[in-house]
Amino acid sequence: MTDICLEGLTKNFGAATAVRNLSVTVTPGVTGFLGPNGAGKTTTLRMLLGLVRPTAGAATIGGHRYADLPHPRRTVGALLDATGLHPGRSGRQHLRISAEASGLPVARVDEVLDMVELPPAQRVKTYSLGMRQRLGLATALLGDPAVLVLDEPGNGLDPAGMAWLRRLLRDRAAAGATVLISSHVLAEIAQTVDRVVILSAGSLRYAGSVPAGLEDAYLRFTEEVAR
Amino acid sequence: MIRAEFRKLSTARSTWLLLGIAQLVVIGGVSGLLQKRDDPRGAVAHVGLVALFSLLLGILTTAGEYRHRTITDTFLAVPHRGRVMAAKLVAGTAGGLVFGLVASLTALVTTVLWGAQLSAGVWRTVAGGIGWNVLFAALGVGLGALITNLMAAVTAALAWLALVEGIVAQLIGDAGKWLPFALGTSLEGRGGPAPWSAALALTAYAVAFAAVGTAATLRRDIT
Repeated sequence: MTDICLEGLTKNFGAATAVRNLSVTVTPGVTGFLGPNGAGKTTTLRMLLGLVRPTAGAATIGGHRYADLPHPRRTVGALLDATGLHPGRSGRQHLRISAEASGLPVARVDEVLDMVELPPAQRVKTYSLGMRQRLGLATALLGDPAVLVLDEPGNGLDPAGMAWLRRLLRDRAAAGATVLISSHVLAEIAQTVDRVVILSAGSLRYAGSVPAGLEDAYLRFTEEVAR
Repeated sequence: MIRAEFRKLSTARSTWLLLGIAQLVVIGGVSGLLQKRDDPRGAVAHVGLVALFSLLLGILTTAGEYRHRTITDTFLAVPHRGRVMAAKLVAGTAGGLVFGLVASLTALVTTVLWGAQLSAGVWRTVAGGIGWNVLFAALGVGLGALITNLMAAVTAALAWLALVEGIVAQLIGDAGKWLPFALGTSLEGRGGPAPWSAALALTAYAVAFAAVGTAATLRRDIT
């Protein structure tokens, strides 16, 4: 059972504040991370994963900063964007590099390729967006982690892909995993998540169980700041 | 981690493209010179020109990852960025060594095919040329970590070698022999400081660039 804990998390880029004093604890289960474009969701996730240095505050996973985890990839699987791929490499080559860098057994590569149903040898440059997302998900699953952090994983997935993703997340949660998933698609979120965290203009607007009438609640929480 | 860095190089087409073009440059350069005069030492000095390709290879190990945004995955796998840089320096430098060795083989074979004799001086020049490749590759790793925009880093490197170093050398007079490209030629025993002092000075450049590139990498936000 691993909690994600954000404490007073703040990030300024120059004069602009992307995330402002964000404190929230994400417990096992599936948590939707919602907010308009530019709300600070991606910056928050990147701080959680040690890619962006917080201006203030801290983000921990099971009590450790990501950089201090003994086996980061075995603890946390992350999908951030579907663009971080070298066009000339195949799916298998990408995963093999990831596995070797992370100190994971190379045998996992074919297992996760099977799970996401991708052709191993095809070069990434001929991939559709949905295929790129599935390769990103395969990378996240390499270490069979108990925590998943997924930024817009549904982008580009077809309905069958979405159903597959929803099943995957529910199965992981049933096994005790902590899943944090950002999305714009409220209908998708409402079907999948146990709780939501709503962010707007870098500040926390709501954290708790999925409100009845998610869309109305979402608009109310995010508009308050816009006005 | 180091194995992953080697695989990144071997699975990128640019690596093989650079290596291939470098051989054409060597064959052309050696043949052109030996056609005109019997100067095997000058001919094998073309190994040093391949250091330009090793420099680009070094830049690709770092700036290439920012270009394709694969740096995100690299830092997720190994959040300790100092270790990532160390692995890149090892892989990039080894890549430069391979570039130097292959270019040497090409240069020596071409020289022999033209019927020139391989004197002791030829071997010293080849050894210096290989060292030039190794040190320029390391320098490239640091440069690409500092200037993460691939086009900017490549442009800066090429502009320095083709243009800027010559101008700076004019301005600073005798001290110009301590600039990187001039040191490379000295390393091959073609004038300027003694090869061993040129090697030390070029190593100092490589270490400085690696240190600055690593310091920048530790601080950088990957957005």
